[in-house]
Amino acid sequence: MSFTQGASKDGRKNDARATLEPITTSTSSSTPSRLELVQNAIFSRFSHRKHDSTKIFEDLAPVIMTPRMINSTANASLRQRQSLGTAHKSSLSKSKLDFSTLGRAPLRLGLGSRRITSGDLQIVEATDELLESEIPEPDGVASDVSLLRGFNATIPSSEQSRTRRRQMRNVDTPRLGLKKLGMNARGLLTEDEDHDHQSVTSEDDVVVVASGAGTLKGKRRGRESLSAAKTLGKDELTRQTKEIMRDKENIHVRRSLIHNEIAEISQKIATLDGIRVKLEQDLLKLHEDDLELDDELEGVKERMEFEQSQRPQKTASQPFHLPHTSRRRRGPAFLPSEHDELPPGVAFMSLDGHATPITALDFSEPYGTLVSASQDDSQPRVWDLFSGTEIGRLRGHSGTVKCVQVEDTVCLTGGSDGNVRLWDLKRVDADQADGWGGDEGELVTLGDVAEEDETAESQQESNGIRNGEEPATERNDCCQRVLEGHTKAVTALYFEDDCLVTGASDKTLRQWDLTTGQCVMTMDILWAISHPQKTPGMALPNNLFSGAAASVGTFAVPTPPYADGSWEMYEDFVGGVQFWGYGLVSGSGDGAVRMWDMRTGQAHRTLIGHNAPVTCLQFDEIHIASGSLDKTIRIWDLRTGGIFETLKYDHPVTALQFDTRKIVAATGENGIKIYNRTSMQHSTLQTNGHMQPAERLRYMDRYLVTGGRDSAVKIWSL
Amino acid sequence: MTSELPYAADAEVSLSYDELEVLRIQYQKELSQGYVTVQTKFNYAWGLVKAPIREHQVEGVRLLQEIYRAEPTRRRECLYYLALGHFKMGNFDEAKKFNALLMEKEPTNMQALSLAQLIDKGVAHEGYIGMALVGGAAAIGTLLVAGLIRRATRK
Repeated sequence: MSFTQGASKDGRKNDARATLEPITTSTSSSTPSRLELVQNAIFSRFSHRKHDSTKIFEDLAPVIMTPRMINSTANASLRQRQSLGTAHKSSLSKSKLDFSTLGRAPLRLGLGSRRITSGDLQIVEATDELLESEIPEPDGVASDVSLLRGFNATIPSSEQSRTRRRQMRNVDTPRLGLKKLGMNARGLLTEDEDHDHQSVTSEDDVVVVASGAGTLKGKRRGRESLSAAKTLGKDELTRQTKEIMRDKENIHVRRSLIHNEIAEISQKIATLDGIRVKLEQDLLKLHEDDLELDDELEGVKERMEFEQSQRPQKTASQPFHLPHTSRRRRGPAFLPSEHDELPPGVAFMSLDGHATPITALDFSEPYGTLVSASQDDSQPRVWDLFSGTEIGRLRGHSGTVKCVQVEDTVCLTGGSDGNVRLWDLKRVDADQADGWGGDEGELVTLGDVAEEDETAESQQESNGIRNGEEPATERNDCCQRVLEGHTKAVTALYFEDDCLVTGASDKTLRQWDLTTGQCVMTMDILWAISHPQKTPGMALPNNLFSGAAASVGTFAVPTPPYADGSWEMYEDFVGGVQFWGYGLVSGSGDGAVRMWDMRTGQAHRTLIGHNAPVTCLQFDEIHIASGSLDKTIRIWDLRTGGIFETLKYDHPVTALQFDTRKIVAATGENGIKIYNRTSMQHSTLQTNGHMQPAERLRYMDRYLVTGGRDSAVKIWSL
Repeated sequence: MTSELPYAADAEVSLSYDELEVLRIQYQKELSQGYVTVQTKFNYAWGLVKAPIREHQVEGVRLLQEIYRAEPTRRRECLYYLALGHFKMGNFDEAKKFNALLMEKEPTNMQALSLAQLIDKGVAHEGYIGMALVGGAAAIGTLLVAGLIRRATRK
């Protein structure tokens, strides 16, 4: 039941009980007497169309209210109040059975005007849940401006005092016809409203001067100002000041409310922005996974082809078979299952055997065979990556070995003596006792070592080769071939199938046929420098550096210092070579990346960009990546020659390898830098890493081998 | 904290139809724009609670509950308004619950105390009605039984 105030609007069709006339005024105290309560209850009933039964109850109510009943009700209500005074939850459940529920019963017996709607149920059900929630101390706006204050500040009637004051300032003047003026000024038609007040005159003389214009005296005195025409009185003025102050307070309230809302909305926008950034990162991750799957698909296709071709080919293979290159293989490698348990980004194996900085390294496959060469050591070491032990050495070179490539059991090395040697890794001698004696008979062949090797010929080879101790018999030399031709140190080589390309400090590139061992072509870089191809739209290479490099007899450039401050004279004119089909790409000491056609031997394109010698190079179908002593890695478009990206580092870049998703680079620091190409994030591998700058690296799938100036070869799990 | 809470009598004064309409339009406008400020929602809810029609009061209480859920800093005030709304509708149980929670937080709040008294009075009053009904039912029952017995003894 409610004490409804009959202030409802005229003409508004309310429900019956709402049209009750007020019994208590709104300003009276909120504690009407008991009699008034009962009166209210009774009178409120009369406006209903109700069942007769309940009507009878109402009539009987005063009869029932005997003193005894009243006492008992007082006791009951006292009991109720007491029980309510205790823990409210338990008591309320008890009170549900008391008279108050009964009293409510007739009201809820489907009387037309008071249906229980779903809204009722909803709010009632929600109360319990709401009561559970925590109520913090109000702070900020909530403590400054209560809701009610805000209500009073923002409801429309708060404007009333202002309009009232304006009306107070309205001065009664004779009609000026301003509306008509205004309408005419806007070009609108005016309605003729005021015929009564004026004679029909033209619009020109509508403005009528204030009264009293007739007398001379009035004219001379002039018109009184409007503000003097009316006196407001002191009470009115004080009232107005109070109202104005209150209005100002209202404005202050509204301002703080709006500030609060703005702050909340800003916070919401910030959180939403954060969510958006995270979602965008998720998108990048998905893109990366997509690229990885592409590579895997290619790998699977190759594997399928290989296994298809493997079956019919169980014939006796030649004694020496050049395997297919692994450089361009993209799919995932076969790894022992334990590799998954390795924590990523950690060097889990370290091969210490060298005494001088590592100059070159390469391996056949993860957990396969590794060949590493170091400075001042003419004998590269051969390691078994499965066990982490050294198998043997490759003896033959007479100077530092500067470049290595390993494919299955074949190894090619190029050294400072200008020679390129071809080695058969299956014949590497484990027995070091003879020193310089070379490869003696007793062998631990690589066929014995458990390898997940694709070629089956190694099994057959080992049978034919295994000898006893034969000191004076024909030496089964590892070195199968020596390719001589270059006059200075061979600093870069790349071979695929039967074709080998080498780059040397005599500023030439030579192409060799590995089956015959003959040099097929020589490409002169100096000539290419001094006779640049004039393609339309390409500017003449105006690089001071290239000119200087070309003119100097021996090429030697000081490297910028590494992270530990060390530097050396860089003398390798050709930093890197790679070819595919008849397209060759070389990076040289003049800072240019050249693309050659191996059919003609001409450089058809030169990519200028680096300011220092190029130290490493790789390309795939779309990109060329080159790293140089100018501390940058540049990524070029293979087809157009434009630059995609330049990555800047703090120290010279000495080695790199990339795939669709990442670039792994050795950049003159102890840690290996990995650049994620999809998310454009840099990261570093340092755990258990090198103690001095890392200089060489090579990875396959999730297996990375690095060599550094600390003479250590470290193996990482990516 | 000295809160400016209205006494229960203020809830009895309803706004004019135009004023409520203005509040409603403001609320709908902000709703269509997608973000309703707390003050607008409260203004509309309070106007509804003050209205004499029960559906409006229900809606007003529902909006107040939304504010309660959404704004932790405003919860203490909302307790009072919810108690007041429920009291006006006659849900004395819920009103009692909210008011009790409020008084736990602020034992000296004048409006809360007076509302508590009002709720108790309302509960007691309903108790009387219930009592009256029971008494009336008992009286009717005894009359009928007496009549039956008389008829039986007469026959």
